[in-house]
Amino acid sequence: MRSDSTTGHVIKPVLSQAELLYESQQRTSRRFRTNVGLSWGILLLILAYLFSGQNFLGIKTIQIDFEFIRNNMFFIAGGLGETLLVSVLSITLATILALLAALGRLSTIPPVYALSTFYVSLIRGTPLYLQIFFFFLALPQLGIILTGLFAGVLALGLNYGAYMSEIFRAGLASVGKGQREAAIALGMNPWQTMKRIVLPQALRFALPPTGNEFIAMTKDSALVSATGFVHEVMWRATRVGRAQFHNLEALIMAAIFYWVMTLLLSYVQSVIETRLSRGDR
Amino acid sequence: MAPIVQVTNLDKYFGRLHVLKEVSIDVAPREVVCLIGRSGSGKSTLLRCINFLEEPSFGTIEVDGLKVEAGGKGKEHRQLVHDVRLKTGMVFQEFNLFPHMSVLENVIEGPVTVKGIDRAKAIALAEENLDSVGLLFKKDEYPNRLSGGQKQRVAIARALTMEPKVMLFDEPTSALDPELIGEVLNVMKKVAKDGMTMLVVTHEMGFAREVADRVLVMADGEIIEDSKPDNLFSKPKDPRTKALIDRYRTGSN
Repeated sequence: MRSDSTTGHVIKPVLSQAELLYESQQRTSRRFRTNVGLSWGILLLILAYLFSGQNFLGIKTIQIDFEFIRNNMFFIAGGLGETLLVSVLSITLATILALLAALGRLSTIPPVYALSTFYVSLIRGTPLYLQIFFFFLALPQLGIILTGLFAGVLALGLNYGAYMSEIFRAGLASVGKGQREAAIALGMNPWQTMKRIVLPQALRFALPPTGNEFIAMTKDSALVSATGFVHEVMWRATRVGRAQFHNLEALIMAAIFYWVMTLLLSYVQSVIETRLSRGDR
Repeated sequence: MAPIVQVTNLDKYFGRLHVLKEVSIDVAPREVVCLIGRSGSGKSTLLRCINFLEEPSFGTIEVDGLKVEAGGKGKEHRQLVHDVRLKTGMVFQEFNLFPHMSVLENVIEGPVTVKGIDRAKAIALAEENLDSVGLLFKKDEYPNRLSGGQKQRVAIARALTMEPKVMLFDEPTSALDPELIGEVLNVMKKVAKDGMTMLVVTHEMGFAREVADRVLVMADGEIIEDSKPDNLFSKPKDPRTKALIDRYRTGSN
């Protein structure tokens, strides 16, 4: 506390330059976040208003049948479990395949390396939609009959596995040569080096993008509805929508379910990420 | 006394590049040998060949009675190389601590995973070594919370906890800020005083002069001088050695 010698007024303690700068930065970023939140609210209101059926200043908005929504909401929501089941099974399969494919890319054994690149190239070179139909409709011709769920999980798992192998490859590449050398110098064999030193670091690196893939997969699982035998959200929406000619309402409902689901999953992912980053690095 | 490390006629090629040319060295038990030379002279490669981080092209390496021929293949060769690695501890320029493990976990990793030592015993041994490098109080920290000098001291404790016969140091202070070099060199002096056989690739002439029993000077893949530090610094035989020492004197390495 210092005082002005001429007037005797007590002057507030002077904040340091750095503190002032920091406070103003904090204020700016707080203001930015508040305004982004407000804008989101307004955009949501506009979107909702577009579907309100109200006539405002000569602008006609879209009329939707709330009666239909009330009647079919729970039927469509009943597919959420199936959607998540397909996604969880598929991401599990995809993760295993991606890891194997990524390890294959590191192999010095030509057939192993070739198998990995062949798999990734074949799967990435053909549409996911085609792959689902292939497992469900084409395989029966060879006497292999898969259920819709199984065909869907197989196709999604194979497809995402091919794309995710790049993530795991980058994860393995992110572990420096020095880490392997330190492990070898301690006398570890290649398997111990991989299991104890390389993989734990690579997986930590690969976890956030794997979360993104899982979120993307919950949406791509809608394609499995094409088999007609997996009663997930999309299948249910198209079924009631077509039957009662209320595709608009049915698809809006499905869209909201997918959107909310991805928002929740993104939140879970960010929580896991913060928890993981706390440890080290 | 019979040498504990014996390198005989060692050649190493990187592609067409001849980086080690029929190098032979002997290191006696408890001896501290410093390897100096300009970068690219082959000193790090020589050190890395001793524990087969680099596979030598020709020649033999013998560590504590285990004789390994270069270019060997098969299970027997791999077993020999593994046994040599157990007899040698390595300290790297870039520390190479495992970032996903705490300090203590870093130090017990080798004994537990490789030697299969009981965890409690490994911890006791690790704590003893962490104490001797002055970092027992950091045992639960993760490496990213340590300074460079502390990381390197943990790396030394990690290597010592494997109870090697020989310690290999590959430019252990070259990645450190100048004010952190001293603490690492002090730990190394202590290790030397405890009777460890040490091979040290270094640019620290002060350390070489004070601690080394012998200094080997390398140039162009060959050892051009092998002498006691006092002789080396006062009357270098080879003009290249003189040039090297002069450059360190003027501080422009």
